[in-house]
Amino acid sequence: MTPILHAEHLVKQVRSGERRLTILSDLAISVFPGETVAILGQSGAGKSTLLGLLAGLDLPSGGELAMFGHRLADLDEDGRARLRAGRVGFVFQNFQLLPTLTALENVLLPLELSPRADSEQRAREWLARVGLGERLDHLPKQLSGGEQQRVALARAFVVGAELVFADEPTGNLDPDTGERIIDALFSLNREAGTTLVLVTHDHALARRCDRCLRLDHGRLEEMRLDEVSA
Amino acid sequence: MSLSVLRLARFSARGLARDLRAADVRALFVALALAVAASTMIGFFLDRLDRGLTRQAGQLLGGDLVLEQGRPFDAEVRATLEEAGLVLSDQVDMVSMVSLNDAFQPASLKVVDGRYPLYGGVHVDLGEGVEVVAHGPAPGEVWLAPRLALLLEAKIGDRVRLGESELTVGGVVEREPDQSAGFASFNPRLMMHRDDMAATELVQAGSRVEFELLGAGPPDILDDLAPLMERLRRDGVEVRDVRRDRPGLGSALARAERYLSLAGLAAVLLAGVAVAMSTRRYVDRHLDTAALLRCFGATQGELSRLFGLQLLWLALAASLLGALLGLAGQAALLALLTTFLSLELPPPGALPLWLGVFTALAVLVGFAGPTLLRLKRVSALKVLRRELDPLPASAWLVVAVASGVFGGLLWLYSGDLGLAVGLLSGGLVMLGVLWGLGSLLLAGVLRLTARLPREGGRAGLVQALRLGGAQLSRRRTASLGQLLAFAVTFFAMAMMALVRGDLLSSWETQLPAQTPNYFAINIQPHEREAFEASLGAAADARSALYPMVRGRISAINGMAPREAVPPEARGDNALRRELNLTWRETLPEGNRLVAGTWFDDRQAGRDARETGGWFDEVAAEPDTKPAAERVPISLEDGLAERFGLKLGDTLTFTIGADDIVGEVASLRDLDWDSFRPNFYVIFPPGVLERFGHSYITAFHLDDAERKVQRDLVREFPGVTLLDVDAILAQVRDLLTRVTRAVEVVLAFVLLAGISVLYAALTASRPVRAHESGLLRVFGADNRLLSRVQGAEFAILGLASGLMGALLAELAIAGLYVAWLDLVPRAHPWLWLVLPLGGALLIGGIGHLLSRDLRRQAPATSLGLLGET
Repeated sequence: MTPILHAEHLVKQVRSGERRLTILSDLAISVFPGETVAILGQSGAGKSTLLGLLAGLDLPSGGELAMFGHRLADLDEDGRARLRAGRVGFVFQNFQLLPTLTALENVLLPLELSPRADSEQRAREWLARVGLGERLDHLPKQLSGGEQQRVALARAFVVGAELVFADEPTGNLDPDTGERIIDALFSLNREAGTTLVLVTHDHALARRCDRCLRLDHGRLEEMRLDEVSA
Repeated sequence: MSLSVLRLARFSARGLARDLRAADVRALFVALALAVAASTMIGFFLDRLDRGLTRQAGQLLGGDLVLEQGRPFDAEVRATLEEAGLVLSDQVDMVSMVSLNDAFQPASLKVVDGRYPLYGGVHVDLGEGVEVVAHGPAPGEVWLAPRLALLLEAKIGDRVRLGESELTVGGVVEREPDQSAGFASFNPRLMMHRDDMAATELVQAGSRVEFELLGAGPPDILDDLAPLMERLRRDGVEVRDVRRDRPGLGSALARAERYLSLAGLAAVLLAGVAVAMSTRRYVDRHLDTAALLRCFGATQGELSRLFGLQLLWLALAASLLGALLGLAGQAALLALLTTFLSLELPPPGALPLWLGVFTALAVLVGFAGPTLLRLKRVSALKVLRRELDPLPASAWLVVAVASGVFGGLLWLYSGDLGLAVGLLSGGLVMLGVLWGLGSLLLAGVLRLTARLPREGGRAGLVQALRLGGAQLSRRRTASLGQLLAFAVTFFAMAMMALVRGDLLSSWETQLPAQTPNYFAINIQPHEREAFEASLGAAADARSALYPMVRGRISAINGMAPREAVPPEARGDNALRRELNLTWRETLPEGNRLVAGTWFDDRQAGRDARETGGWFDEVAAEPDTKPAAERVPISLEDGLAERFGLKLGDTLTFTIGADDIVGEVASLRDLDWDSFRPNFYVIFPPGVLERFGHSYITAFHLDDAERKVQRDLVREFPGVTLLDVDAILAQVRDLLTRVTRAVEVVLAFVLLAGISVLYAALTASRPVRAHESGLLRVFGADNRLLSRVQGAEFAILGLASGLMGALLAELAIAGLYVAWLDLVPRAHPWLWLVLPLGGALLIGGIGHLLSRDLRRQAPATSLGLLGET
């Protein structure tokens, strides 16, 4: 099977004053369709940097990286954007809802770029599936943190994404709310048959994935699930 | 997948609709609407006024094209004009004696044909009160001016004698539509039909007759005829074209037009500044949206189109509102003026509307464009790392693009590339200087506030000033930007107010309450003293009595005048008619020497010796005739320019049978609108006294003293009194109304200025919110917060007021000299009013707009940054 995401010898360096900091070095990863993969790591280990690279939001300093079989290095910024349109969904730690848009409008936002005839109907359905069918016209500030993240979940899946990236999706939530969000995320993921790559330092969350990888000193190591629970 | 145009349009429109609640979008909208309103209002107004005035000028001139020469026009010229599509009317002007019984009077004859008048109507009393008719007298009839009727004691039905024929008085002419002759013909009018001309046998070889050919037709015909007109001018025909020789309204309206254009541009500039400031906030607010859309797969092009379209909708909506406001505004302006001008105005044209929309788009592109580019440059990675904002647009780029666009608008509206380049480069240099000065000033003020004691008597105020200063200091660059924006705003507002004031006072000094409303001419030397005595105390603001000798220019630098002057001046009136020459020891009031020197003592001494004293004009009869000798003369600079004359050139005047050679010793600038006697040529005393001369003077009579006028007429029957009160009243009324118009436009400039203040305060709101949140967290109470914010704004207002005053003072001096023909003057009070007013205004508005920030819980304030 062809991996939906594939990276080899991935390097990311940044300049910090005179020095060159290596955040990722010789990193390799393959994610296959339908898989759920957790990337664990300490704060500052470079998890978000890796997520940014894998999603094509940033370019590596070296190595090979492909998404949906396309080498990202061959594409310019706009090419990578087009590759994502309608196929990639995102869930962020800080929700990233636009404050002036209602819940429904926030969910409709990615659909504006990948228009369908039934866009609005779909957005309503997905909001109903995350339990917000009655709160379509509420602005983010009128919603709780958990509700905002559920809007973000609906937004990630509404385009029919093949691949969803989640960056610390429970990071800004209390444990109970976090738990419910995770339930919703995995249930939506299962129903949609989506590939999920999530970055977290929450082991409980990571345990629910098919595979766990630990980011340590710039490289990824495969973990056994019992290791994660430890 | 990419966004279709339709979808993008809908998406952007929806985005804009959601955004309408945001303060920056509202500020953008208001600023753009004001820019359009100001430019369309002035555009509509000037366009309609211009077309209306051209029409009226045609009426004053008697036609759109007027040809004049000393012999009848030949059939060829006539045919060419008619073929071109002009409607022609013939007219003959001459002076002749007219008599009734024992009374004889010289009259200024106007011989008209059946097509007279081409424009307008004649106000005439045909026996049943004054009525307006669109024809002249019928054959066999004459119409007399009231003064002539009075002098001849003629009434309707009487038969007056003119040359060899007798004609019936058919009416008394109150007003002719074409009255541009001014004071050239001092004799009262007699109007008659052309068919009666031959029978009078008045036109003989050598008699002084002016033949006029008047034509009416659209402007494009006149354009087509330009080569023919050029040829006729070279042949010595005087050609008056309605567009070039618009008479009557003088410089007041021309200045007002320039002022209005300038004010419109000031409003556009201010709106531009407001747009630039609001756009920064707009872009900051949309960076997250842009990043998220990048993340969801939007390309840079799609982002540009999305936000570009959003602002395009905004600009179009603002244009619509602005254009409606502009239409209403121009209607108000015209209502003020047209009652006076009694103009039939053409309906508003579409051009100003398109110009208005174009202005809005240009302002948007010029003042918002570079900043908007940030949105497309945003990295998708910003969704993961918030601090990853794209670099702000370079200040140089913003200024360069805005300047380029504004320069283009300046050019477009003024039609004067030199002026546009001059103003723009001056403005840019000034901006650079301002940037430097602003930095220094801000640094100085902040150093001062930083030195304020931490504890002191009135701790509240001192502490507020110190903290306010510290806040400005922390955001040095942003504060400097605001300082400059406010300074430019104050500058533009002050400038428009100052120019208005100076325009008005220059009009007032031009026509003070005591402006002469009577001219007295033909005062004989022996009547002079008695006349002055009779005028006595009744008349005030009397001009000097000027002696007047009639003379004709017979040579220029020894050549025939027509050959010596440039071709286009060959038909000039001053070459074909006798000029009124005068002599004078000192420079007349209202005249200004622009070149050469006034007659010096040496000159005066010589003349005194030769003439036996130049005070004794009447007795002057020189022993030797100084015919061949050159005498210095002073020339009006306009005439010198038309004839291409400079200092040292000679003019030979034929006076009676003698020739006098004058050498141009000085050039004078004078105000033809001054209602005082003005002369093209002035001689030193001691040259012209020996010729027959009479005196002219101008004086003012109040309504209460009108009986003096009757006494004068009775006592000095030979003296002609010209009542110019009606003309004066018209000019005054015009000035008053133009003033109103100027005020309406000034109000727009002020509104545009306030939109800048609003935009600037809105743009800096999130940072201020964050700061007051922090101060709150650290324990500041509402009172302190309120004072700190007030102090911060007041410091900013004070500094910008100072800079605005400097800028206004410099710019206004340049403007007066270059564009408005006014003499520059200093405005000391500006240095007090602007800084204090600025501190109060900015302090007040800023304080008011931050009111809700003070009410917010610190958590909200701190969370506000980067949102809403």
